[in-house]
Amino acid sequence: MNYPNPFADAIDYQRMEQHYDQEALDSLNAISPMTRTQQPIVTGTSVLAVKYKDGIMMTTDCLASYGSLARFRNVERMLKVGDSTIIGASGDISDFQYITYLMDKLMTKEYNANNGQPLAPENIYEYLSQVMYQRRNKFDPLWNALVVGGFQDGKSFLGYVNLRGTTYQSETIATGYGAYIAQPLLRNAVEKRNGEPLTEEEAKKLLDDCMRVLFYRDARSLNKLQRATVTAAGVNISEPYSLETEWAFAENIRGYGA
Amino acid sequence: MITFFLVLLQSGNEYNGGAVVAMVGKDCVAIASDKRFGLELLTLATDFEKIFKMNDKCYIGLAGLATDVQTLSEELKLKCDLYKLREEREITPKKFAHLVSSTLYDHRWGPYFCEPCIAGLDENNKPFICSTDLIGCINFAKDFVVCGTTARELYGICESFWEPDLGPEELFEVISQSLLNAFDRDSKSGWGAVVHIITPEKIITRHLKTRQD
Amino acid sequence: MALAGEDFCIVAADTRQSDGYHINCRYAPKAHQLSDKTVIGTSGFYADGLNFVKKIKQRMEWYFHQHDKTMSTTAIAQLISIMLYQKRFFPYYVFCVIGGIDENGKGCVYSYDSVGNAERVQYQAAGSGNELLQPFLDSQIGLKNRSNENETLNLTEEMAIKIVKDAFSSVTERDIHTGDCVEIYIIRKDGVECQKYPLKRD
Repeated sequence: MNYPNPFADAIDYQRMEQHYDQEALDSLNAISPMTRTQQPIVTGTSVLAVKYKDGIMMTTDCLASYGSLARFRNVERMLKVGDSTIIGASGDISDFQYITYLMDKLMTKEYNANNGQPLAPENIYEYLSQVMYQRRNKFDPLWNALVVGGFQDGKSFLGYVNLRGTTYQSETIATGYGAYIAQPLLRNAVEKRNGEPLTEEEAKKLLDDCMRVLFYRDARSLNKLQRATVTAAGVNISEPYSLETEWAFAENIRGYGA
Repeated sequence: MITFFLVLLQSGNEYNGGAVVAMVGKDCVAIASDKRFGLELLTLATDFEKIFKMNDKCYIGLAGLATDVQTLSEELKLKCDLYKLREEREITPKKFAHLVSSTLYDHRWGPYFCEPCIAGLDENNKPFICSTDLIGCINFAKDFVVCGTTARELYGICESFWEPDLGPEELFEVISQSLLNAFDRDSKSGWGAVVHIITPEKIITRHLKTRQD
Repeated sequence: MALAGEDFCIVAADTRQSDGYHINCRYAPKAHQLSDKTVIGTSGFYADGLNFVKKIKQRMEWYFHQHDKTMSTTAIAQLISIMLYQKRFFPYYVFCVIGGIDENGKGCVYSYDSVGNAERVQYQAAGSGNELLQPFLDSQIGLKNRSNENETLNLTEEMAIKIVKDAFSSVTERDIHTGDCVEIYIIRKDGVECQKYPLKRD
């Protein structure tokens, strides 16, 4: 069984080097566009997030895959920015680390400005979406789907931005496989409450149930997850934890789902 | 020559252009088509009707590649006549739909580039319409069916205009207005139209004057 | 889509944001108010649309500070055409319509392609459902294919809103990218009103 090698292009490049002299190679480079940043290499899977009574709740697992290989199994895919914002990332991990660097730079600038007006989640979201959009316009995108959650001045914020700079804000957000598998479950749970917000316990259970389904069905997921909340009390990212799973013979199971 | 066949394979349905629509009314059905015959964007004739009578209570409209429209209509008429000789009765629209479907599926890997719409009244004079794709997948509909290069425009406007239990004259008005306004937004169809209203007693055929551009 | 009446104008857009077969969001506005006389509707690539509207608003603010007046609808119409054509070889992937009141107090609609080709029209549909919508508008507002050629339409606001709602309900049936909710902006001499009307969510 041959899995696609993410570095196939690089290997071909090396092969070419053996065959062509430097001059021929330079002329080749002049006409062919750079493709190094046009595919994700080490990737994270779904991010799930919902609004609930006290703010925002978000979960990711701790896996960074290299193709089909579960390469890094203790990666934090959520980033605290300031005191009222969190960013969850799926897609390329190195691009996410670059975003971490950007956020760090931004917050240092904010600290030095010391103007007593902390950046609101909306501001960070706008900044991120502009970065993502400008990179896609350079045909050099940051290969991520990001979820920004925040809670400030009694208002919750939940927004999405992806590698093309496409944005939206919603009550529930799921990226990657979660968009197919978890999003219907999340929307169903929220919509049947007719505007009444979820409690913390309900939100926790909902996200855990979704992550369990994802762990069962998404081959690039891991049963080691983190849960973050953004509330009036600030940002809290939990230690990694596992969910109870059931792998016994499905004799008594009727139908699908959790 | 090779280019010609590539054109056929990729967009045989869009080579000549055309629009066909059929609708259900109260104890009647209507089927209408445009009259353009063209090669891509060049109009060659404006008297090319795409609706064919199989018997008094069953009509078929064929939109697509004109050569296949003619061949297929002849083949289907032959099969209907043979059915009548063998069974000593007329074929019902529903049976005819399955006949069309299997005829098209016989050519699964080298299909006729035709999308048929079938309209008729069954043995109890109950209205029946359906359409199929070019390899014979049947779509039974209770309201209206459309096909040809104008399909999207027709879907939009029929969805707004059609309502249940229209009498023959109302149905004529609805199908005519739908077809006319739809194909005016399609460069590959238009140039006159023909409408057939099938009722238990009679068939009303009307030719419509339309804008010629 | 947008349509113009004698002294009013309507711009309506559904609020679904989709990506292929996937619905991203059921409320992501595509229509934006530019001034108290002009509203723009954008379809196509959402991020381009958002940033394009942002750039228009920026240019309008500069204009306001330079000339001490709000841009007129016709001036905005010309600006949009130029801004789109400026990106001729890496276009904004947006298909926009604007609706508003012109200098003479008449309703007006301008429609564009993605590279700035512009036309003043009475009514226009744009986006994924445009082929489905346009013939309906031709018939109901353009009065095309009527036997009485002298027939004239005295389009009232109530009629126009009814036509818009009917049109969107029909398109929602057959276009998977349209649905959830339609926002109807009514632009009158004395300001802009926005009505929301729910559509099917399937």
